[in-house]
Amino acid sequence: MSEESPDQIIDRSAKYVFSFFLSSAGLWLLAAALFAYLAAAKLTDPYFLSTCEFLTYGKIKVAQANAFVYGWGGNAIFAVSLWILARLSQAEVRGSVFLIFAGVIWNLAITFGLLGILDGHMSGHEMLEMPSEVWPAMLVSYLIITFLALVIHRSRQIKETIAPQWFILSALLWFPALFLIAWNGLELNPSRGTLQTVLSMWYGQSLIWLWLTPVALGAAYYLIPAVLGRTIDKYYLAVFGFWCIAALAPWSVLHHLEGGPVPMWIPAIGTVMSIAMVFPIAVASTNFHSTAFLDIGKVWSSLPLRFVIFGTLSYTVSSYIGVVFSLPAVAKITQFTIINEFHFNQRVYGFFSMIIFGAVYFALPRITGREIPKAAKSFHFWTSTFGVLLLLLAYLLGGLTHGVLAGQPTLPWSSSVIQSVQPYFLITKIAFVILAFSQFVFVINVWRVIFPNPFSCCFSNKKEVSA
Amino acid sequence: MNNLAKFILGIFITLGIAWLAFVVGARSQYGDLQPTAESLEEDGSVPVDSDLFPTAFSGIAKQGAEEYAALGCVTCHTQQVRRVEAGYDVDRGWGLRPSAPRDYVLQDHVLLGNSRIGPDLTNLGSRGHTNEWMHQHLYEPQSIDSSSLCPPSPFLYQEVDEPVHSDIEVSSKPTGGNTLYVRPSVRANRLVAYLQALKQDYELPEVSFVDEEMEESTLVETTQGPVAADLSSAPTWLQAQIDAGKEVYMKAASGGGMCFTCHQTNGQGLAGQFPPLAGSDWVLGDKSRLIKISMYGLMGEIEVNGIKYNNVMAPPGIPPGSLTDDQIANVLTYIRNDWGNSASAVSAEEVATVRASLKGRAPMQMFTAPELIPPVQ
Repeated sequence: MSEESPDQIIDRSAKYVFSFFLSSAGLWLLAAALFAYLAAAKLTDPYFLSTCEFLTYGKIKVAQANAFVYGWGGNAIFAVSLWILARLSQAEVRGSVFLIFAGVIWNLAITFGLLGILDGHMSGHEMLEMPSEVWPAMLVSYLIITFLALVIHRSRQIKETIAPQWFILSALLWFPALFLIAWNGLELNPSRGTLQTVLSMWYGQSLIWLWLTPVALGAAYYLIPAVLGRTIDKYYLAVFGFWCIAALAPWSVLHHLEGGPVPMWIPAIGTVMSIAMVFPIAVASTNFHSTAFLDIGKVWSSLPLRFVIFGTLSYTVSSYIGVVFSLPAVAKITQFTIINEFHFNQRVYGFFSMIIFGAVYFALPRITGREIPKAAKSFHFWTSTFGVLLLLLAYLLGGLTHGVLAGQPTLPWSSSVIQSVQPYFLITKIAFVILAFSQFVFVINVWRVIFPNPFSCCFSNKKEVSA
Repeated sequence: MNNLAKFILGIFITLGIAWLAFVVGARSQYGDLQPTAESLEEDGSVPVDSDLFPTAFSGIAKQGAEEYAALGCVTCHTQQVRRVEAGYDVDRGWGLRPSAPRDYVLQDHVLLGNSRIGPDLTNLGSRGHTNEWMHQHLYEPQSIDSSSLCPPSPFLYQEVDEPVHSDIEVSSKPTGGNTLYVRPSVRANRLVAYLQALKQDYELPEVSFVDEEMEESTLVETTQGPVAADLSSAPTWLQAQIDAGKEVYMKAASGGGMCFTCHQTNGQGLAGQFPPLAGSDWVLGDKSRLIKISMYGLMGEIEVNGIKYNNVMAPPGIPPGSLTDDQIANVLTYIRNDWGNSASAVSAEEVATVRASLKGRAPMQMFTAPELIPPVQ
């Protein structure tokens, strides 16, 4: 065997862990795609599968969000975070057995959680709908993985830390804190009345801002310089951007309660802090895009980076739109409409998932030594891009229609307001079909790279790595 | 940033401050709210012998809340009436007033919701729907509203060939509008009990019903000039009668008239279903007809302002037909003098006269329009 570079040794140490989490993530992605299609189909035809209680709309919709965030999001976060932390620390991934063990528990917990939702044990708390019986398993397995991620970081060769490490580490640590707070306030020591809603909404929205978002930002901070071979432009701003997100994001999420039965300061402070979020958004956007546009040709020719830059652009646009929609005058129209779906999909799909796709395409060949065919990657990029844009456009226009018509009290609800929104549901159904195809191609290719020959993989590892 | 311990401390402090505000702070601000009376004494104490609100759900309604949560109804239905300046909720007649934190303190599952593909359900229980209507809606929403996107829940019902009294008659769309009978399961009954229990039809010291006159000001301007001014200049006895009548009109509890559930708070009715009272030739016309309808109800076809309606108006009041002479006089005076209407008051003596003339009539025997329209034009 030839001399291996330190990076290759690290990549090899991450091989099993990365492959495990990524292949699980892929399965969850497909499950979420199936749920998304079913939910969209039920909104275009309420009789579709209506006799099956497991698949009633309310359950499917919730199962989709949970499969997407915890199944796909969680596993993808583990895979990408562990690998990036190992690379940046120049330290090997240790305790693979424990990591995979914890990963199995995490996946089993989510599987049982989703089955629980479909079987009628939904809790009704935003993004914590899985029955509380599975929460301990989720937390314990998560803490094992986070602990081993911290071990990697502690054994780093260079003491100096950089932006990707800040973002990824804080995301890994914020999640269990949020989870414990929500668990305590909703189950162990339940709050009364609308305090429950305040807490579960704070948790559910913070999950997106403090868990998915920082990991994706961290991955972008790592991948853009790694692919382009140049440093981040105006990097000195990154520290400011990081602490702005840390300090402002947890405050900015509760503007969704505007006008509701909670003390007025809660949504008001959410609105103010949402507006303040323009600073960290501007920082990340400047860092990413001014670096990328120094060498736009290379961005275009590298598929991983194309995904990442789509994600960061999407982040910038969606976050600014989020700021506008949090203004009370606008929120009066958009509140309670399907604009909520626009926000969710923009953030978890257009931003988080696209960056994760980029990270996977960058890491996978280095870790397994095998390339995914370029045609497949290109197909995935174009179908994802088209599907996401179609989906978001439908939710945006549909949401505005929804809000404007709902605001006219003389229009009857379902026969005029919702009927006018229904065509947009049809478009989202088409978009979800396109996205399902796109994700299917992605997952199949990832699996073929991870398990090139399912029956001999146990014997031929070494050869392929050195090849 | 390079010291891991300090870094972790930093990121937990930033999170912790928000936690202190939204969890600890909010909890200490209003975590101990208790039910209270609709209005308090001047010194802030709860008046002796007054009813306390909100009231707790019955046992079956609590079980219904579990079903509601388990089926994910909250995905499409909110249960919160926003403040008037924050949205259209009161204008749509979804509530008489905005929801307050206190309304929810006795609920185990607080399901405010964040999305309205379906209408808000905060006051579903005070819209006067029958249990049968609720069951029909749960079994197949499209049998009631063909444009509804709400998923049917046939799995909560059992189709029966030989119906008994408690079974529900549905004209199902997929079978081409055929009538079929379904038997509600225990779960369906729980769910309906919960839905009927959803109501915020009381006032609280911190929030009172939205002032109709202020609310309707835009409507009034477009119809017949400033009526609010007329009302305020009305003689005291008339104003008292109007105020008392409005209470009957709006009250959806025992002793009330619950008129607003069909004719709406703005007196406009619902197109095609319930005739308007505002500007109605019936309301502004012969008093004795109105008195008769207020006592016995009305069924069958009726033409109001040239538009035909065909529905059933049960004898008003809770329980039906229970309105007293005074209440009828007041509520009729009210509907003849709000929303731009301006007609003479109705007195309790007039009501008593009509009541005496109908002595032989069986209770609850609803009138039909031809009975009320004089045979000679």
